[in-house]
Parts: sequence; structure tokens; C-alpha cells
Amino acid sequence: MIDFSLSDEQKQMQDLARQFTRDVIMPRAAEYDRSEEFPHEIIEHVHELGLLNTIIPESCGGLGLGMLEEVIMGEEFSYGCMGIYTIFMASDLGTTPVILAGSEEQKKRFLSPLLEGPRLAAFALSEPDNGSDAAAMKTRASFDGDEVILNGNKMWITNGGLADFTVVFASFDPDLKHKGVLAVVVEKDTPGFNYQKIHGKMGQRASWTAELIFDNVRVPKANILGEVGEGFKIAMKTLDKTRVPVAAGSIGVARRALDESNKYAAERLAFGKPINQLQSIQIKLADMKMGIETARWQTYYAAWLVDNGMPHTEASAIAKCYASDIAFQAANEAIQVHGGYGYVNEYPVEKLLRDVKLNQIYEGTNEIQRLVISRSVINSL
Amino acid sequence: MKIISVIKQVPDAEARIRATPTGIDLDGVTFVIDGMDEYGVEQSLRLREGGLDTELISLALGPKRFEEAIRTSLAMGSDRAIHIETDEALDPITQAKVLASIIQEEGAELVFVGGKEADWDSAALGPAIAEALGWPHSDWTTRLEINDTSLSVTHDSDEGSETLTLPLPAVITTQQGLNEPRYPTLPNIMKAKRKELKKLTLADVGSPSGKTQVLKQEIQTKSRLNKVVQGDAADAAKELARLLHEEAKAI
Repeated sequence: MIDFSLSDEQKQMQDLARQFTRDVIMPRAAEYDRSEEFPHEIIEHVHELGLLNTIIPESCGGLGLGMLEEVIMGEEFSYGCMGIYTIFMASDLGTTPVILAGSEEQKKRFLSPLLEGPRLAAFALSEPDNGSDAAAMKTRASFDGDEVILNGNKMWITNGGLADFTVVFASFDPDLKHKGVLAVVVEKDTPGFNYQKIHGKMGQRASWTAELIFDNVRVPKANILGEVGEGFKIAMKTLDKTRVPVAAGSIGVARRALDESNKYAAERLAFGKPINQLQSIQIKLADMKMGIETARWQTYYAAWLVDNGMPHTEASAIAKCYASDIAFQAANEAIQVHGGYGYVNEYPVEKLLRDVKLNQIYEGTNEIQRLVISRSVINSL
Repeated sequence: MKIISVIKQVPDAEARIRATPTGIDLDGVTFVIDGMDEYGVEQSLRLREGGLDTELISLALGPKRFEEAIRTSLAMGSDRAIHIETDEALDPITQAKVLASIIQEEGAELVFVGGKEADWDSAALGPAIAEALGWPHSDWTTRLEINDTSLSVTHDSDEGSETLTLPLPAVITTQQGLNEPRYPTLPNIMKAKRKELKKLTLADVGSPSGKTQVLKQEIQTKSRLNKVVQGDAADAAKELARLLHEEAKAI
């Protein structure tokens, strides 16, 4: 059974996200991009509409939204600002390991309070000296009675320090490599837990990125998710899921690039006619459209696999890698279509390129995605 | 007290409408809840939030696709909905009679309807419902307050605006300025699917037949004659006046 139609409910969610993006995100996106300020007001508004932390299960008082609904709305939000969408997306990245590996008690303890306000979660895996090679992590966990003691630094953490809780990955036994990693929840304001906001990002400047510092941070062992030693597996399972919204965000950016290019190409004249009458411009518009449509179906497919509990590692890697590549290409061509105007921030297209560059890097670089995909190809022999 | 909001689903204001020899081609057009009707749904929610003990019902007469607009009103906060499903294009008077029969059956005391629907643009539906019910109505309403048994409203008139008091039950037609409709929240969108949507057919309401028949539909186009009046100013003005009087019959 194949059915490409959205339900009435899904269409309404899409409409809501689209309206909210048009009315609230788009008018202010450029301002947050320039000031590098965290968009508190927008996050409050998003929370009021029930659009924040939507994947928290119903058993914890949440909506338990499926991945398909998540990506349908994600594409709309990122159309307005990828940086702002990253804030909500990264909160889901923080709640996902709790949903996947937490006990019922942990889920209630950590997830339910997030619903009470415009609150966020964070996910801390990358470090100053390692990202893709996560098993090489230097953050250490040691045990003391009922407590885990954390020492080390985490890097590039979206919502880092602002989040009510952060899922931190640390090695308790470096000799065990992957199997020596644990995942533990660190609550905001835990003594010894500090952060430093990272300034000067090229794009996605509305999203808050920080380095986290753990100096003898003591958290209860009751905050460990799953078994000690399962941390790496939990991180990978989390990313297998959360790459799908990254793909959705990329599609939103690509769609914006196409819409802006289409509008501009109809107005701008060259050689006595609108530039959309020139084949070289038409080809760019067609290429953008092909990228958007094909990336969207791969993304919906990956989301559908997630929602149906089917293996989705490869599909989500393809979606994330492909969607962010075509989106970068679309943003790049959008600047080309706009010529000189595309290179200044009077028009929104240069921001699209700066923003979407990150989609090729975070939640697993596109090189890592290709590694994942090629492994599954080679292993199928 | 029951409040009924009459709603319609209409093409999005940004949609490109195409005329075909047999009618209007709505294929591929995005439909939304009529913006004018949305003010009514919002006002009913505000009355309840202001402390009025009330049940809010959405009422629609139209094709199956109207369900989407009905769901939007439920997601905004209406309690339940009634949909009289038909593909027939009925005139406003006949529509009003059908809607009035349901309003009476429900025992509603206040009815909101958009000042002018974006489909036929007649502005007749609200007053026609009031007529069918024998109730007073305020059209183009921009302010509304409710007291125990009456309403205080401000509405636009040809000369400006008037403030009136109306006894209940009454029909109010709504427009921009009355309020700022809310977004449906995500939890309410998800709850809406569990709310009652009662389906009726025209046969359930006495199989009314319309008073008008659509023979042809076309998009209104304005074409220019591109006529430039030449000569010196005095002669050109005389010629222009003659053209406006004799040919365009505008003066």
C-alpha cells in the first residue's frame, strides 16, 4: 500500500507551522541573524502553541508526535529560519535518548517538566578534539557511591547551558572504547557544570551554541540512561532518528531558495526580458525543484520507517546527506540567480547559504553519512 | 447558551483561479476557512473565555472538502460541528433556510457568520439567516459585548459606524477589526479529531431546491481600450467628455 496524501490533521499542522513561520519567524529572522541573540520571544510563542518538545510521549503528558508530522512542520519552520528551527530540533535531540533508553521513572522525571514552559533539552556528544570519532571522547565518568562524577568538555552544543537538562556522553573506561561510554542526564545548575557561548558562527546565528565544561560534576547514578556501556549505542540510535528532521530543515531552506529565485527571476530584466526567460536560469530553477521533490520523498520515507519501527539507519543517512547537499546547492544557485543582490543581506538568500552549510556538518557530517551508506552497501554482499 | 458559528471553506486569497467554459476550475487550489467566518469563531471563544457558560458549535453547508475548514474551527476551540454535505451550489436564501432550521433545532441563541463570504461575495447569508429565523441582526460588526439578555455592538454603516443594542437571540455578521483570530494550537489540532462532527444531507433538511440556477461562470477581466485623446487641452477635454458620455456612458 502506497499513499502519498497527507491526512487532514497533518495538513492542519502544516498550515499552522506555515502560518506561524510567515507571521512570526520570517519578519524577525534577519534581525536575530545579525544580532546573534537567542530568540526568547519566539521560543515562548512556539511553546504557547504547543509546538515545542512535541515528541515527548503521551505517558509524560506530551503529544507523542510522530516523525512524519515532525518533518512536515520542520520543513515549514526552516523555510523561515534554519537557525531558529535548530533550537526546537536540538531540544528533540536532547529528549530522544531519554525517550529511547530512559526508564518510565526517568521519562516522567525529566520530560514532563519540559512541557511546563518554554524549556529546552540538549545533547552533548562532540568534544573540542573529536566529533565524528565519538569513541575517542575524553570526557570521563567515574563512580562514587550513588553518584557519577563527570570531568571534561563538550563542544558545539546547541541549547548548551540554556537547556533544563543535557544528555552527556562520557567514557568510564577508555580501554573498552565504544563499550566504555555511558549516557547520563545532567540538570541545569548542577554545581561544577558551566558553559561558554560560542560567538562568530557563519550561519544559524539565532541558535545558541556553547562549549560545556564539567568540573567534578556530581549527578545521581539514577540519571544514567540504560546500562552503563550502552551510551554509544544510545547516541547512535538517537542520531539515526534525529537526522530525519535535519533533512526536513534542509528541504525548507531549499524551498525558500527556489521561491526567492523564482520571484526574483520573474522581476529582474536582462536583454529586454525577465531572466526567467533565459535557459541558464530555467535550468537552475529546475535543478532546485528536482532536488526538493526527491529529497522530500526520501525524508518522508525515512520518517515513515521511524514511525513504523522499521530499520531506518541507512534511509535517514541518505535523507540527511542528500537533502543538505541539494539545499546547499540550491542556496548557492539562489545567490547566483540574484547576482550582486544575492551577495548582500538586503535579500534573504545569502543567509540561506550560511545557514544550510551547517546541515552538511552537524548530527554527523555528510562524510560520515556516506560512510554509513557505503557500509550498508558493502555489507550486503 | 449555545453559540453557532457558520463557516465556509473558500479558495485561499492567494490562489490563482481559472475559468473554464463550464465553470471555475478549482483543481489544485488551496482552500482555507473563510477569513470573515474566522472572526466569528474567535469571538465565540472569547465570549466563553470571558466567563460565558456556552457550548460552541460550528455549522457548515457545502461539499465534503469543507471538513478541513470545520476541523480548523474545532482546532481553534469549537466543541463540536454539524456539516450538511452537498455539492449543490445553493443561493444564499436557500442556504439560510437550511442553516436556520438547524440553528432552531439546536436552540442556539447567538449566531456568527462572516460579513461577506469569499466565494459568492454576496454579503447576503447573515441577514438572510436572521430573516429566516425572525431574529435581529447586526452586520459588519467590529465590536461586541454580551449582557444577560442582550448584545451591545458597533457595526459599520454607509455613513460610518453605529452602536446598537440587540436583544438575544440574534445574528451577528463579522469582519476585520472585531478581533484577531488565534492560531489553532498543536494540542488542539490533535484533540479536534476526537470532537463530534455530525454529518447531514440535504434530504435530512427537507431537500430544498435552489432559487437560482448557474448557467455560466467566468472570471471578471478588465480590458483597456488603450485610446489616447490627442489635441490641445481644451479640445481633448471636450472629446474626453464626449467619449465618457456617449461611448462609456460613465457620465
